[in-house]
Amino acid sequence: MIVRKMTTSDKIYRVINYTFLTLLAFTTMYPFIYFLALSLNDGFDSMKGGIYFFPREFTLDNYVKAFKNPYIIDAFKISIMRTGLVTALSVFFTALLAYALSVKGWPGKKYFVFFFFFTTLFGGGLVPTFILYRQLHIYNTFWVLVLPAIYSFYNAVIIRTFFTGIPDSLPESARIDGASELGIFLKIMLPLSVPVLATIALFVGVGTWNDWFSGEFFVQNRSLQPASTLLNKIINEASFESAMGSSNSGSSVIQGNQALEQAKQTGTTPESLRMAFVIIIVTPIICVYPFVQRYFVKGVMVGSLKE
Amino acid sequence: MATQNNEEIIIEEQLASLKTKNELWSKIWYFRHIYLFMMPAIIWYLVFAYYPMYGIVLAFKDFQYNLGIMGSPWVGLKFFRNFLTDSSFYEVMRNTISISVLKLVFGFPAPIVLALMINAISETHIGFKKVVQTVSYLPHFVSWVVVATLLQKILSPNSGIVSDIMISMGKEPIFFMGKTEFFYPMIIISDIWKGIGWGSIIYLAAITNIDPTLYEAAVIDGAGSWNKLFKITIPCLVPTIGILLILSLSGILNAGFDQIYLLQTPATLSVSEVLDTYVLKRGINQGQFAYATAIGLFKSLISLFLIVGVNNICKKYTEVSLW
Repeated sequence: MIVRKMTTSDKIYRVINYTFLTLLAFTTMYPFIYFLALSLNDGFDSMKGGIYFFPREFTLDNYVKAFKNPYIIDAFKISIMRTGLVTALSVFFTALLAYALSVKGWPGKKYFVFFFFFTTLFGGGLVPTFILYRQLHIYNTFWVLVLPAIYSFYNAVIIRTFFTGIPDSLPESARIDGASELGIFLKIMLPLSVPVLATIALFVGVGTWNDWFSGEFFVQNRSLQPASTLLNKIINEASFESAMGSSNSGSSVIQGNQALEQAKQTGTTPESLRMAFVIIIVTPIICVYPFVQRYFVKGVMVGSLKE
Repeated sequence: MATQNNEEIIIEEQLASLKTKNELWSKIWYFRHIYLFMMPAIIWYLVFAYYPMYGIVLAFKDFQYNLGIMGSPWVGLKFFRNFLTDSSFYEVMRNTISISVLKLVFGFPAPIVLALMINAISETHIGFKKVVQTVSYLPHFVSWVVVATLLQKILSPNSGIVSDIMISMGKEPIFFMGKTEFFYPMIIISDIWKGIGWGSIIYLAAITNIDPTLYEAAVIDGAGSWNKLFKITIPCLVPTIGILLILSLSGILNAGFDQIYLLQTPATLSVSEVLDTYVLKRGINQGQFAYATAIGLFKSLISLFLIVGVNNICKKYTEVSLW
């Protein structure tokens, strides 16, 4: 490379560029900082406003309250179980499909590929899906949160592309040594594909953790609804208590006054509890994705080029 | 072990030499594990993807739950006529296409610009580059439910940060989420905020794949930063931009269900109701199964024709296509 001296216009361009990117990064992070500050502040004090970066009256009460709330605990239990199960099943079965699609020369392959690919172009739509879940008797059960999320053709294509990059000599030599096809898949293909499997696990895991729709429309039983669905309910219902289903009192004015009284005494308001809930729900994501970043950048590329 | 080896080799020899019809069956037998590995996927796709497609016949039936899908009487195109003569359907179509087009115009170029800006960060500031990238990916991993909660607080007329700023400037706070004129800006800005970093990955990857000798030759010819940008980098991105544009165009009837459903309020329905939210409300909330299925089918068919059509046109006139 030929190194040239930076001209004045290059310098100005760089300053503008760096300023803009810094502002973008700040704008991206700020809402989370804002919520973190509010969630760590006394709820009653927050109502006065003026908290933008740091808590004014620091307290962990909002988090303590959140973790003591039986509805929130149940919702997180469902979310954790569901995310773990879907991720494990999805990565295994999608990889198995991807392995089949990566093997060359078997009869009928192009018809099977079309069979899977067509579903990405056309689908039955919401209502037939809804009726299907009722007919399968998985409506309003834990399984409606798990089974429909197992396969994704797009993910299978990403894994298959990775598999085709593994030299044929590896599975071949294992076959000569008498390994079964399942053994080759489990002991050779999977261990060699950790980067792409980690990417898919991240995509599926985050997608499942974030999914509120299934819980909202396919599950009526509140104790089976995941955290994302509960969070949506809390946004939409005026009072946190009523979202929690614990209020028996009549008018919302009385409820409002009760909430205010409670806030004065305990330093927690429905809003401050909600802030804590948001921080709790995004923390696992913020902790996980940077570690998988170098893998998923590759995964996105591969998927887009081969689609 | 040795006999098994020989068997494998014999089978392979047979595969290579035989050309009769029996060979197909022996080939299928040889690959039996592959079919076995695909069985769970085939069953799953038949149940969860193809069976709902069969449920589409609902759109042509007067669905009664006790009679089931098959037992319900046929009504032909009644429901299609119903929604095509319904004025709220046109409002919903208009909103859907408006939001999609606005997102395409403002949201589509944003990640390209970001990728170019990230690429312009000097090699000596690699730490800054990493931080910008990692931070910009974050919103992609956060759900729309969370984003809606964030927006609701930030834009809240009581003690939200935006209203605090407006009050300090001597203005009246506004209930942004309840005003139709703020709905589209809110949708577009939040869409860019959430997707810009993730969208830039693919362009950054394309930029790193550009042959560096192109730039070296350009520098020898006396090209400056701007010339390199417009004569090399951007032209090299055109195939990537093309593919992503095909995808966006064919998704024109997907205005973004989660985002819109979670950010709309009863006060903004006249501009915020889109096909997907309409289908959900008519179908699930009001139980008009057949009517909602008909609209859903209408939407899926148009989307299918769009993607196949746009892809074929692109294949014919350019080198860019999805398949």
